[in-house]
This record gives sequence, structure tokens and C-alpha cells, in this order.
Amino acid sequence: MKPEIIQELTKIVGEENLYTTLEDLYCYTYDASFLKADIKDLAGVAVYPGTVEEISMILMLANREKIPVVPRGAGTNVSGGSVSIGDCIVLVLKRMNKILEIDKKNLIAVVEPGVITGQLQRKVEKLGLFYPPDPASLAVSTMGGNVAECAGGPRGVKYGVTRDYILGLEVVLPTGEIMTTGGRTIKNVTGYDMTKLFTGSEGTLCVITKIIVKLIPLPEAKSTMMAVFSEMEQASETVSEIIAGGLVPCSLELLDNIYIKNIEEYAKVGLPVEAGAVLLIEVDGDSEILSKQIGKVEEICRRLGAVQIRVATTKEEAEDLWLARRSAFASVSRVKPTIIGEDATVPRSQIPVAVRRIQEIAAKYNIIIAILGHAGDGNLHATILTDEMDREEAARVEKAIDEIFVLTVELGGSLSGEHGIGRAKSKFITLQTGEIGLEIQRKIKHALDPNNILNPGVMFGV
Amino acid sequence: MERSFESWEKEVIRCIRCGSCQNVCPVFRELQAESTVARGRVKLIRGVITKDLSLTEGFISKMSLCLMCKACVTNCPSGVKVDKLVEAARKEIVDQKGLSSLKKLIFRFILKNRWVFDTGMSTGRILQKLVFRPGPGGQGMLPRMPLGIDQRRLLSPLASKPLKAMYPQVVKVTNPRLRVVFFTGCMINYIYTDTGRAVVNVLNRLGIDVVIPKLQNCCGTPVRMNGDYGTAREMARANIDVLLQEKVDSVVVACGTCGLALKEEYAELLQDEPRYAERAKHLGKMVKDFTELVVSLGDFKENIGELPLKVTYHDPCHLVRGLNVKEQPREIIKQIPGVAFLEMKKPDTCCGSGGSFSLTHYELSTKINNHKVEDILQTGAEVVVTGCSACRMHILDGLHRQEAGMGVMHTAQLLEMAYEAKEGIKTGIKI
Repeated sequence: MKPEIIQELTKIVGEENLYTTLEDLYCYTYDASFLKADIKDLAGVAVYPGTVEEISMILMLANREKIPVVPRGAGTNVSGGSVSIGDCIVLVLKRMNKILEIDKKNLIAVVEPGVITGQLQRKVEKLGLFYPPDPASLAVSTMGGNVAECAGGPRGVKYGVTRDYILGLEVVLPTGEIMTTGGRTIKNVTGYDMTKLFTGSEGTLCVITKIIVKLIPLPEAKSTMMAVFSEMEQASETVSEIIAGGLVPCSLELLDNIYIKNIEEYAKVGLPVEAGAVLLIEVDGDSEILSKQIGKVEEICRRLGAVQIRVATTKEEAEDLWLARRSAFASVSRVKPTIIGEDATVPRSQIPVAVRRIQEIAAKYNIIIAILGHAGDGNLHATILTDEMDREEAARVEKAIDEIFVLTVELGGSLSGEHGIGRAKSKFITLQTGEIGLEIQRKIKHALDPNNILNPGVMFGV
Repeated sequence: MERSFESWEKEVIRCIRCGSCQNVCPVFRELQAESTVARGRVKLIRGVITKDLSLTEGFISKMSLCLMCKACVTNCPSGVKVDKLVEAARKEIVDQKGLSSLKKLIFRFILKNRWVFDTGMSTGRILQKLVFRPGPGGQGMLPRMPLGIDQRRLLSPLASKPLKAMYPQVVKVTNPRLRVVFFTGCMINYIYTDTGRAVVNVLNRLGIDVVIPKLQNCCGTPVRMNGDYGTAREMARANIDVLLQEKVDSVVVACGTCGLALKEEYAELLQDEPRYAERAKHLGKMVKDFTELVVSLGDFKENIGELPLKVTYHDPCHLVRGLNVKEQPREIIKQIPGVAFLEMKKPDTCCGSGGSFSLTHYELSTKINNHKVEDILQTGAEVVVTGCSACRMHILDGLHRQEAGMGVMHTAQLLEMAYEAKEGIKTGIKI
């Protein structure tokens, strides 16, 4: 990066909010995805602006000089959308971390992009309000990143995803202008729905600088149960029956046999190791109706052949049940050093087929794929357990992942439910959008970002 | 065969860069740059192994920015041993680049040679009055002039007599039920002799003979954490020889860092040395924190007097995450009638001391400490109890900076006060 540019950036954000050393910049060549950035992808500079005006100036400068800009929050992106690309500006939004207001009368909150999702949730919950989206990374991930990726989570089955809670935004366009979208109302049809377009735009259309979120009343209570099945098919069938029966749990999580075995070995939570699948189900709402709801779910589980059912009667017991789910990741990470979490999502009725086909793909390429999923919304996280130092296996893994994508689209699903396309899956995007769909998206991108400076390579490839 | 730096690649690749460490790393909380959080350090180490990077000044400085508090290790979903990786990197730096001459003097001449250390400390005890003035309320001392230490920095003075000089080699009781060795560690021996005295007194009261070997050395952790493995091994061997000479039931520590060295790290350091590998393991099995030993004797609850005090407890990193001692000190505190135990928010977050870290990165270590002090003050407690002398000094410094008149003491001292209260002895400890 030219010294004049660094100088200009230093003037904008101040010396203490700008990084240029090799060691500092090397730490922006990764995010939480499996994407490998190289030393040649080293950024030219990383800046931490503190205001929307600073961001506007940075983007004007970048646009003028045609320097790529990669926006970044906590760097927990799982599709390679926040890794640096050669000589770019990494724009980190973490300093803008204030909750600006919580409006109980209108059930909204206004936050800056660097606010940590979990912090917002704790704060509104103290007031009896609820912001439901719960990506696994919520303890560290930022609201800006969640909006840019349209993050989901286990509660998606009942409460939807980030997009369903964003009422309005303030953004800086790639050319530097500051723009607001949507507003503070539930109903709003003035013009195109730019809020929805920007939510999930993966940092390719704008930099988000302020977010107006919708809040809902905090459910009074929760009830949790675990059902164990000897066959995966029974568990998948149970998921369909629960949904078809008009019951909407707030979480409906599925674990396969590979997970069950490893969790039991690791955390000793009392799971039968020969079981084919476990469902972890949580319902929430008014306390009077909970036992009735959980009773109905229990009845469906029994009817479809659950061999063991545990309903938590206390908060502590519920915690114990969740322990199994929370130990899932740590338990499989002991099996192999490298873990790749995929995010293919299928219509809920296709879960049994998807699970079977993924298992066939694993057998074909002789690799281990464990399945854990937000089964209630069809979002399967096929987890590939491998060793990245084993080059030969890595090649097989890559082929298997390609096949899983093709399969997902074939079943009427989505390449990504909640992780995003990023740089990791950009080559597959036409599988789902088609040529025309992609062309239109490219035109939108070009209209807003004529010089292609904002997160180039994401979604559309290079 | 000594483990090569490259062999750590197996551990490095287990980091999946999920970023969970951002939630717990005290250094990252202040600095926010990606290179200052655990996954950044792991990536940098990987960069050196794969030769993207080399042992530059920049790399060395990033590796120095770790408190070794183990918070990331406990919180890591994949269980990556970040502390061991940073230590391996520091060792590689020393192996390739050598030690700075100041560190060489401190590690290889002073800490390693007990007589030099002893002589230095007794001279220092006289000279310190010239350069330090007493702190408020009789606790600690403040620099009178710039010493390269912040002039607001409250240090605790060297004791007028080291602990080892206050006692015979064996402090006996009549009809002992146990016999233990007390590994004092440097801070208890030279600075906080009040903690040492309380440990001895409490153990004696409980019918335990306490052996305090004159020949014990510094545990070697400061040396090892700075990458000087050669010296650390010599110190480990010397301590093993001294401690295993005694016929005792346990080796008692009152410092989590010393305890972890004796319990686990000596065995790791000496695993390739046929004469010492087994002996280090044997020693490890005998190590108990003071509170572990006390709580294991159910009858410590007898003869406790009343102390009308509001007390909070800070978990030292190496005691809670190293020796897994969390409940025992709380059990002791809660047994004392009259004591109101007020748990602070996140009691196991590092106080920012990190041993020599607080000397080399004072500003940063102060910022980290400010959060700890805020959490302490929020409880409304009158006394902070902890299980580590370095934490005690650092928290005392923080309280002083924020002008809070609170006392900080070791769990052993609180328990001693409670026994004395029963006997009607008025204690001199100021609160």
C-alpha cells in the first residue's frame, strides 16, 4: 500500500486505530471459515474507524484509488467473507459498539454494528424483551456481522433469522455516501425493500453503521426434552410429524450416531452409544401451556419409536440436556484435528433423504461426515472430520463437499442456510441462482459499487 | 529427544479459528487487535512454523503479550493448548536469539543461585527505605523517585526477615497426625511472610508438622515462561532433590503458580531425563494447595471464631485453571461465622499481574486490573481474599490507584484470624 494512502487513513482514524505491521496484518488472513488465505493475500492496512463519517471518508478514498475494502466484525464468518485479499484495507467495525437505545414502547433497539449479539440479548432480556437470532458464535459475533450474513441459529425454526428482525439500517455505500433504509415501524412499503437487500449482502453492497432491530416480548418459560432413537429415519420422521402436527418448538436439534458416540465418550451424559439419532427439543411460551405442548411432542416421539425420553423438570436438568448439544463440537474435535462445518439446508420433508445421501457420499470418498442439524428448519450441518495435513484426504474432502452442494440444490434446498456464500462457495452460486439470477445480482452490485471495491470475490467469485 | 518447535504444528492446526477466545482473553479486551487474541497468536506461531513469518521483533513482541492465564485454553471448544504454544514460541526465541542480558542476569545468576538471591534480598531490604515511601494505611510502599516503575505503583516491601529465617527447618507439634513439606515460593519467603506464617500456624493448629527446607529454590516458572528451559530444568532438578529428601505425606504450596510447576510442569520439563522423569511425577502426586489439604481434614471447622467481615474471593489463574482449586477456598471462607461471602462478577478473570508481565507491560496490566478492581468494589466487600501473592500485590496496587481502602490477604491469613478470634487474640491486620 502506498505510504500516502496510509498517511491519509491515519489522518482519518488516528494512529492508534490503524495497523500496518506484517504480524498484525497476518492475523486478518483468516476468519472462522476453512478458507486458506496466503501471505500474498496480506492486507495493506487494517483500520478501526469510530464514526460513520470516518467510514464514509475511508470508502471515498478507497473508491477514488480503487483499493479493495474488506469489512470485518469479530471475524467469526464461516464462509470466508472477512479474510483479507491482497493489499486491501481491512475495515474493522468493533470500535462502534454502543447500544444507542432500547425503546420499550415501540419494541425496538438501535445499535451500532460492533455490538456483540449476546450482549444485546442479555440487556434486552433484563427488560423482559427478546432478540431471538442465536448463531453459535453469539458470545463474540457482532450485530453488524450478523446482519451482513443474515445469521440464523437453533431458534430459527420458531423465530426465524436475523432478516426477520431488522427494521432499518444506516449504511455507507461503496462510493462513500451515507444512506438510511427502512425505519422504526413494522409496516413500511416506501420504495424497494433495501433493508432486506442489504441484510445478507455479505459486505458487498455497503458497510452497515447503524441497525434498528425489532424486539418481541420475552417468553415466560421454557421446557426441554431429549428423545433417543435407534434409527436416524425415525428421528427424521419425528421432526416432520412434530411440524405437521402444528407444534412449533423453539429448538429442534438433531445429532447423529457419530456425534452421540463421541459426546458420550467425552462428556458422559448418559446417551446410549448404539443409538442412531438424538433429538433435543425445546418449547417456550406461557408456563401454563408448556406441559401440554411438551406432552404432545413426547407422544409423537413415543409413537415413532423413541427408545428413551427425558423431560427436564428443573432448570438444572434442562442444562444437563443441553450439555450434550454443547459438548458436540468439542467431542468431535478430538477425533480429527480439522473440522469443516457445512451448512446445506433442505426443505424439512427432505431431511431423511438428505441425511442418507450425505452418508453415502461419506462412504464413497471414505471420509468421516458427522451430522448435526437444526432439523426443525431443515438446516443440516454436515461436519467433516479430517486432517488438513493429509493432502490426499483433503482432495477427497473437497470432492465430497462439491457433491453435497449439488445434492442440496437437487433436493430443492439452499447452498447455505445461514453461513453465507462468501469466498468459499462462490463457484457454486449459479447452481441455485441460475445464469439470469446471477446476472441480475451482478447488475445490482455494479449499480452500487461501480469499481468493485467492496469485498470483491465474495458471492460472485473473482 | 527434545521436542522441536516444528512438532507443535500438530497442536496448531487444531485451532479452527472460531474466535471463542475473544470472549475471555484479558489482553484482547484492552487491545482489540486480532494479533492480540489467542487465535491470532496461534496463527502467528503457525506462520513461523510454515515459514511465512520469522522470529522478528514484531513476532517476539506479540508473543510477550500473553498473561499465560489459561482462560482461552479452558474456553476453547477444541481444547487447543494456547499457553503451551506461546511457551514453545518463547523457548524457540531464546534458543535462536538468546536471552537479553538483563534476563540472563536475573534468571541464570540471581534466581538460580539461592545465595545470590538471598544476599540481594537482604541488601535490598535495607536499601528499599531510601527509594520507597510507605503506602497509605501501612499497606505497601510507593516509589519516591522514578525507577522505571510508575510512581503510582504500590509495591509490597521486602520483609525484614525472610520466612525461612523465621523458622527452624521443621516446625513441630505434639502428636502430629501428618507431616508435610511447605514449598514457600519466592514471594512468600521474601515479601509476604505474613502469608507464610499463617500457613505454618494453621497447619500446626491442625496437628501437622511443617518442614520448611532451607535449600528450596525459586520454582523456576518465571524463567520457563520466558523461554529459558535450560535454567528452568536446573532449578526443577534442584527442587526435586530437596523436596523428595523429606519423608512427608504431602508437599504444600500456597501459590497456584509454584504448585502447577511442582505438580505438572516439572514432569513435562524433565520427561526425557531418565534420572528425573519418574521422580518429577512422584513429586507431582504429592503436591497439594494449602486449601486442598485443609478442606480434606474435615475438622478444620472446629474452633473457628467469629469474624464480622464482608469478604470476596479472587481466583488466581494458575490455582483455578492450573490446579483446579475453586471450591476449597470458598468452603473455608463460608465456614467462618460472621463472614458474609460476596461473590464478585467473573471471579476467575485474570487480575492482570501475569508475574513479570506486570513489570514489562505495566500500563496494559493496569488497565486489565482496573476491571478486576471494579468487580471487587461492586461487591461491597471489606476484604479481598485470594490464593496467590502476585495477585495480592497487583490487586492491592489497583485498589490503591482507585483510592479504595480495602485489605487483600491470602486464604490462610483469613483462616488464621478466625482461629485467633476464637482464642480472643486481637489480630493486627488492618482492614
